[in-house]
Amino acid sequence: MRFNTPRLRNVAGMATGISLLALSSAWAADVTVWCWAPEFNGAAMNEAIARYTAAHPGDTITVVDFAKGDLETKLQTQLASGTTEGLPDIVLIEDYGAQKYLLSFPGAFEPLTDKIDYSQFADYKVSLATVDGQTYSLPFDSGVTGLFYRSDLLAEAGYDSAALQDITWEQMMEIGLAVKAKTGKPMFSMDQADAGTMRMMLQSAGSWYFNDDGSANIVGNPVFKASLETWVKMLQTPDLYKAVSGWGDYTGAFNNGDVAGVYTGVWMTGGIKGNNMSGKWGVAPLPKLSNVEGAGHASNLGGSSWYVLSSGPAKDTAIDFLKTIWAGDADFYQKILVGQGAFGAYLPAREGEAYSATDEYFGGEAVWANFSTWQAAIPGVNYGIFTNEVDAAIVAQIPALVAGGSIDEAIAAIDAQVAQQIQ
Amino acid sequence: MSLTSKLTSLLMQAALWLAAFISVFPFYWMIAGATNTANDITGGKFTLGSNLIPNITKFFELVDVPRIFFNSFFVAIAGTFFTLAISSLAGYGFEIFRSKTRDRVFGGLLLMLSVPFAAMMIPLFVMFSAAGIMNTYLAIILPGVASIFMIFYFRQNTKAFPSELRDAARMDGLKEWQIFIKIYIPVMRSTYAAAMIILFMTNWNAYLWPLIVLQTNEMKTIQLVVASLATAYTPDYGLIMVANVLATLPTILVFFLLQRRFVEGMLGGVK
Amino acid sequence: MPDRSTENRASLMGWAFVAPALTLLGIFMAYPILWSLYMSFQTGKGMNFKFGGFANIIRLTQDPVFLRALSNTMLFLVIQVPIMLILALLFAAALNNPKLRGRAILRTAIFLPCVTSLVAYSVLFKSMFAIDGIVNDTLMTLHIVAEPIRWMIDPFWAKVLIIMAITWRWAGYNMVFYLAAMQNIDPSIYEAARIDGVPARARFFKITIPMLKPVILFTTVLSTIGTLQLFDEVNTITASQGIGGGPADSTLTLSLYIYNLTFRFMPSFGYAATVSWVIVILVGILSWVQFQVAKDR
Repeated sequence: MRFNTPRLRNVAGMATGISLLALSSAWAADVTVWCWAPEFNGAAMNEAIARYTAAHPGDTITVVDFAKGDLETKLQTQLASGTTEGLPDIVLIEDYGAQKYLLSFPGAFEPLTDKIDYSQFADYKVSLATVDGQTYSLPFDSGVTGLFYRSDLLAEAGYDSAALQDITWEQMMEIGLAVKAKTGKPMFSMDQADAGTMRMMLQSAGSWYFNDDGSANIVGNPVFKASLETWVKMLQTPDLYKAVSGWGDYTGAFNNGDVAGVYTGVWMTGGIKGNNMSGKWGVAPLPKLSNVEGAGHASNLGGSSWYVLSSGPAKDTAIDFLKTIWAGDADFYQKILVGQGAFGAYLPAREGEAYSATDEYFGGEAVWANFSTWQAAIPGVNYGIFTNEVDAAIVAQIPALVAGGSIDEAIAAIDAQVAQQIQ
Repeated sequence: MSLTSKLTSLLMQAALWLAAFISVFPFYWMIAGATNTANDITGGKFTLGSNLIPNITKFFELVDVPRIFFNSFFVAIAGTFFTLAISSLAGYGFEIFRSKTRDRVFGGLLLMLSVPFAAMMIPLFVMFSAAGIMNTYLAIILPGVASIFMIFYFRQNTKAFPSELRDAARMDGLKEWQIFIKIYIPVMRSTYAAAMIILFMTNWNAYLWPLIVLQTNEMKTIQLVVASLATAYTPDYGLIMVANVLATLPTILVFFLLQRRFVEGMLGGVK
Repeated sequence: MPDRSTENRASLMGWAFVAPALTLLGIFMAYPILWSLYMSFQTGKGMNFKFGGFANIIRLTQDPVFLRALSNTMLFLVIQVPIMLILALLFAAALNNPKLRGRAILRTAIFLPCVTSLVAYSVLFKSMFAIDGIVNDTLMTLHIVAEPIRWMIDPFWAKVLIIMAITWRWAGYNMVFYLAAMQNIDPSIYEAARIDGVPARARFFKITIPMLKPVILFTTVLSTIGTLQLFDEVNTITASQGIGGGPADSTLTLSLYIYNLTFRFMPSFGYAATVSWVIVILVGILSWVQFQVAKDR
């Protein structure tokens, strides 16, 4: 019998082909990631993807970006509809909303407790993504707060960085008024429809809108009252700030030099550094509440984390990706710190070169090392599930308060609206 | 012409030009923005700048422009065509063949139109997902094809369709569908032109529903891309303005091309 | 008198013309609407809901935020819709005059605002009406105001701003409907009236308005529905940090409240559905009144 070589080869080839196909479908995966802010979150994610796929050439990971509010709308529609088709494998969620999603849609997110070593992440970021002993997030960027200020303008008014080190909000207001008197520029841009100031002040004293059991902690919460009073006092001082509405107006004011500073989360650093004002900026600790027990200079604003969807077909690859890069590659964090100003909550990254470097833009200060120190001091609080509801109730009272309304009545009204909304 | 009527006419013209100025000024602002840097724009600069090329370059680097525009055009053109066909047919039917039952059905449609879309998004999503057509052009277009708004529009305009024309056509032995196609559509072309402008604009600017059904970067429409650019931590307004100008041009062009149609006048056309 | 068979044939023909649209609407609207009707009797947060009877309706009456949204929405309706439609009608009448110079340019210019995409619209208005924006600068240069107006910060001015923004965006749009409809009026009617010595103003009220009645009714009903569903402007122009309707809920509308209840807050799908039925009932009542008024005249 003549051996039909070509055919045999074909068959053999086919067999290899099939096994390769089977093999590749076992490890080649398509992972989809949803996030907002392509220049920040998207860029950091793409850097991580480049590192991962270099070692895993069979996998593709794609970032799809949406406006932040749109992403939340989309995610909520999909989860509420109960259909999993079309959901991404990984999604970015802002920390304030974490508990809302985890509790509203039980089973939708994959617990990562036994996959990720959470001792390597900042505590407060881990606890806000933990429900019933299971942690769901891969903590990404920190929102550790600081006071960014125009050192040149403050110097004109006679203040150097030492004068800003351990100050209260009242002292901050004095400084702001002096800056205005000397330079003609208000200290801050403030949006009275944005409750961010309240959140920063509350957390700096270890308090929040809610108690640990989730009940509202508004009436009779001394920190809440002190924070509201302080914020309103600032809003009642027109020379202290430029009144703005909305994010673009708010960031525009300090980016183009209309105001002398901003107190906000560390993620703003990249934006501030984009302005060609090297050496004219400094970073100081957040001012603290006076006469409040436990008040400090460390707080948080915003920040977000990655979550894995349980329904994702490429879930295992997604987890492996997060574990390998986001929970294992300290060098990666140096890269995104320099590139995007993304300040990770991954503690080993602190040992890296970029985190200890000084920055000429901020007058040669070791800003990242300072942020690291402050981050370690952020009091952990329970963000709960109704943060947006309380924000809305607070800002509804602000115009009346600024016009001289009673704080106690406003707090009672906020409490009543919250009670009504969270039923 | 008397002096007072001359004065009224002058005043009226002045008012019209003022209205036109107020209408157009924000567009000038947008175009000026496209030529400036982000800080110039937030700083309130409203003269033309020199940053147009960098803004455009950055937009083309960040966005797959041909693909995104293809998506938007495809959705807008197909959506306009099918909506016109289905909805004008229905508007004609409701008005020409009036009956008590159909009038009640029509009243019901108006009520349906008043249900806010946010309240229907989730069940609609469930349906499309079950049908397995998520992330397709079809999914974007389909829910809007039978437009109650357009049915209502065509019904109201059909009231002006001269019944003598229809009677004459019936005498000539034309079938009902022939009357619709051969008489109604040509006679009502100013109505169609206005509808076409409105529909193109609606489909081109559609936002919430495309956001929900689209899942990949390749399928995104220009509106979704612009929105995502606008929510950066530090928004680059020069870039956003370039994107806005490009996203607005097609609708302006469509209006320009079609506006002659609806001012020509229908009666002049039939004579 | 038509015999029964032609009547039946006409009826059948009528259904044939509307069938494709009704089929599609049956699929894409009936089910979602029934779902929302069902949901309006459910209470609870997120995916844990249960039958609550009329609990949601009782909640409406005690909800200060809902009452704020309802009164804002009605205020916008009562003030903005008449202003916009009268402006549109005046523009259309003026631009319909073939002797007017620059007609095409004016027409295009006045129509332009409605083609702006949502993002452009909100970015433009926010920057123009900022406290140091071009609008305040102009008003102060012209000595119309001494202090900058706090457009998006003061609850009263925020309402004014929203009314101006909607009018800016939609007056030209409504004008197009009127213009197109004016073309369907036989010019010989005007000619005859002019020969009879009827003055321009009387021609407008005695000929144009009655002839446009169907389209005026159309735009009134549609603008009513549009305003009761007002969402885009108040979700972008007067928004801070992704929550619209500011400052202090002064521009919060029913539709935005539904959106917040569904997507921004801990989701209350049932309660949100109940609020949307409030809109449906309001539209039902108002459209009925509008149709009756149109019939009588």
